[in-house]
Amino acid sequence: MSMLSFEKKYRVRGGTLIGGDLFDFWIGPFWVGFFGVTTAFFAFLGTGLLIYGAAIGPTWNVWQISIAPPDLSYGLGMAPLREGGLWQIITICAVGAFGSWALRQVEISRKLGMGLHIPFAFSFAIFAYITLVIIRPVLLGAWGHGFPYGILSHLDWVSNVGYQFLHFHYNPAHMIAVTFFFTTALALSMHGSLILMATDPREGETVKTGEHENTFFRDSIGYSVGALGIHRVGVFVAISAAFWSAVCIVISGPFWTRGWPEWWNWWLELPVWY
Amino acid sequence: MREYQNIFTQVQVAAPDYPGVPIGDEEYNRTSGIIHNHWLGKLGDAQIGPIYLGTLGVFALIAGALAFFIIGMNMFASVNWDPVQFVRQLFWLALEPPPPEYGLTIPPLNDGGWWLIVGALLTLSIMLWWARTFRISRNLGMSNYLAWAFGAAILLYLVLGFIRPILMGSWAEAVPFGVFPHLDWTAAFSLRYGNLFYNPFHMLSIAFLYGSAVLFAMHGATILATSRYGADREIDQITDRGTAAERGALFWRWCMGFNASMESIHRWGWWFAVLTVLTGAIGILLTGTVVENWYLWGMKHGIVPAYPPIEATPVIDPMIGGAQ
Amino acid sequence: MNAFTMKRFASVLLLGTALLMGCEAPPPESVQRGYRGTGMEALYNPETLQALVNANQVPAAIPAVSSEGPKAADIYQNVEVLGHLSVGEFTRLMAAITQWVSPDQGCNYCHVAGEGFEEDTLYTKKVARVMIAMTQNANENWDAHVGGAGVTCYTCHRGNNVPEAVWTIGVPPRHAENMGHTMQNVAHQESSVYTSLPIDPFTPYLLEDGVARAQGDSALPQGHDASIQSTEHIYSLMMHYSDALGVNCTHCHNSRAFGSWEESNSERVKAWHGQQMVKEMNNAYINPTNDWLPDHRQGPLGDAQKVNCATCHQGAYQPLLGANMLADYPNLGALAPAPAPDAAPEVLEEAAPAAMEMETSSLEQGDTAGEAH
Repeated sequence: MSMLSFEKKYRVRGGTLIGGDLFDFWIGPFWVGFFGVTTAFFAFLGTGLLIYGAAIGPTWNVWQISIAPPDLSYGLGMAPLREGGLWQIITICAVGAFGSWALRQVEISRKLGMGLHIPFAFSFAIFAYITLVIIRPVLLGAWGHGFPYGILSHLDWVSNVGYQFLHFHYNPAHMIAVTFFFTTALALSMHGSLILMATDPREGETVKTGEHENTFFRDSIGYSVGALGIHRVGVFVAISAAFWSAVCIVISGPFWTRGWPEWWNWWLELPVWY
Repeated sequence: MREYQNIFTQVQVAAPDYPGVPIGDEEYNRTSGIIHNHWLGKLGDAQIGPIYLGTLGVFALIAGALAFFIIGMNMFASVNWDPVQFVRQLFWLALEPPPPEYGLTIPPLNDGGWWLIVGALLTLSIMLWWARTFRISRNLGMSNYLAWAFGAAILLYLVLGFIRPILMGSWAEAVPFGVFPHLDWTAAFSLRYGNLFYNPFHMLSIAFLYGSAVLFAMHGATILATSRYGADREIDQITDRGTAAERGALFWRWCMGFNASMESIHRWGWWFAVLTVLTGAIGILLTGTVVENWYLWGMKHGIVPAYPPIEATPVIDPMIGGAQ
Repeated sequence: MNAFTMKRFASVLLLGTALLMGCEAPPPESVQRGYRGTGMEALYNPETLQALVNANQVPAAIPAVSSEGPKAADIYQNVEVLGHLSVGEFTRLMAAITQWVSPDQGCNYCHVAGEGFEEDTLYTKKVARVMIAMTQNANENWDAHVGGAGVTCYTCHRGNNVPEAVWTIGVPPRHAENMGHTMQNVAHQESSVYTSLPIDPFTPYLLEDGVARAQGDSALPQGHDASIQSTEHIYSLMMHYSDALGVNCTHCHNSRAFGSWEESNSERVKAWHGQQMVKEMNNAYINPTNDWLPDHRQGPLGDAQKVNCATCHQGAYQPLLGANMLADYPNLGALAPAPAPDAAPEVLEEAAPAAMEMETSSLEQGDTAGEAH
């Protein structure tokens, strides 16, 4: 059916956190689990509410659909459904779905006798989302500070929140996050390339070895981090990108209200040269 | 009960110096120095060196060092050769491209000429380095994936600093050399051309950039999570699939319904990273040449969301009223 | 752990603390300025806000006097811009101006002790005359910007001889000989609000005829003439607007379409009129006084100290947080009726021709601005 040729022997019971054997089965290629059920619940409800929000909105144009958070005047309370309450419920569904997904990843990892690195890494992405829609709005005192759920509208939010600080590029945490993002793309391109260069070599050549991988980078830049090391580095830079992104937005507003260029005055005004 | 997560190497094997895969005649280009760093070895490989310094690499380094030096000297001159101010103001300093009045002509040295020279030297350096990656992989009998990936990034660099300014008829459109100044350029570019968030290639580039982070987090974590089965030996897992690759693939199949193989995940990653810069280059290229204002382009193509008006009376341009 | 780890931990802690030095405590005050979810918000640090309130206290008004009785021009000599006031009003305004501009030096800031008050010995008296006309012009013809609260001398001067925020035409910082300087990429410049943007955005847009429009108004290229450099100049000017008013870009704009007026607040129209008003002030009133000014009242290029947004606003979205001082000093609300043709003395002629030409055109402008509302 939908099993890979070697899959059957891996389909054993066990590894679950909650529910034991009750949800320990597969639907097609998907493993269900208790958290698969909760994921499905939150995801269907949240998606359904998004569609409902589109239906009561002005358009079905997928680029223009937007479900907006409440006005700031509602503070941290619950707003009427059509005045941002829908957004609030969808956010709860999102957190529920993402959290369930991560916990399901824990269960799958345990079943396969793997370490928990994948849900650990995914948690940083969830943390970034929660920072944007829960932590920062709570620190600012209103759910209305969250971003709208809409393809172009969420970009309008990013633009305006950025310009609240006059020139967001000067946010030092933002600089760190961007650097980690670009470094991740660089490292991924290098690692992907290296593996493919070794296993899909030149015409007429045999598949290469780990020594070739190391030699390529030692010849190129004098250092090779190695086959295991690159995966440690890759996880680190990718997670750091998400982490520092969360940091850069949570400090903007709750911990700094001026323009970001002005922050750098601490350096310019150090007593040693000012 | 704490489990070892394989983040830092606990028991480090002190390996002998490895001079590199034999490459015959070209080996004389390899330096002789090899050192081992124990702390580096906790994260990755402990060996530093040797490095291959062929003709291409040496000239690349010379051109690059010269470019770097000229940038630094220009910055130094702008603070009147004061070393304290140089360090203090470093992030704000720059070497700017020529002002718009020169178009594509060669300006005086002090009015953008140095920028052009640095641009030429840096481009030469990068192109030589690029050729170097071809040569090294050829020496080793490996294919050219890295060279092509590097080529995509170089294309973006050339679009930003050379191709697009030429299409726009003005060196002034290019990016200055400087930490904060290149960020000012980025902001000004988006301001000038009507908000780059509405540029569809900008959207694609960001999708691929974030996707690269997602993919590397996924792939790195998968390998580390199955490293107890030898997953980090990816070449062997590709040619002779073992339980590491099987578990890794099954994790994702059970999680999201489909999976890659130990080889194909690297193709996914390669394409996401390369498409980041490729779509980015297209997005930059189209800006100002084909599209003047991306927000208005978005209006034209029906992607701009409408918000209820903020004020009761519509705001109109005061210049339209007849006042100058 | 070992010594290395301890030292590393300590240095991280130190760096962290240094960075934390800039931190403000949550929550700030937040004001929604657009549709929900668009991110158009103003954020205020409550302590900063309180300091602003403290700094914008309006002095008590001198009790009003009657406008009945002989006019100042009939009783006093060499009275030009305030001749139409009654003697009582004239004296009251003099006292107020002293309070607002020279509380320490008193009357002697403009009048030499022992000389008659009519003498124009000191440059300050001649400048003051122009200043009064400038203020009256702003109130009469720039309702589109200052309407509602009006301006008095105090709005800018706040008890100082010269307002705290003034500007002069920019010169590059000390740099190597034979090198040009791009007038940007300089650290710690308040004029560029601490960015590396151009350090003099005022000369092109608050003095010369630069039009602060960066974006083209068509999707496809149609010859809109603006470079990255001019965009950076405008950005720097906009940073000044924000800094001077203690607001951010979303106070006037929805940043998804900075150039679009449909996406902007009416504050943006106000700001546009403010730019035109300041340009007129600098060209028609301030710069013509330059011949009288001593060196310490001039910039490095020998030009007069000029007006920008910060001169009046001083960090508040409306000067004095919108307090209407003009209501207590209506004599500053309008220019004097046109002087008798033969009576204009030489001093006023220097400032008057330009001023009066600008007054005429700004009257038209004022009308148009009124219609645009």
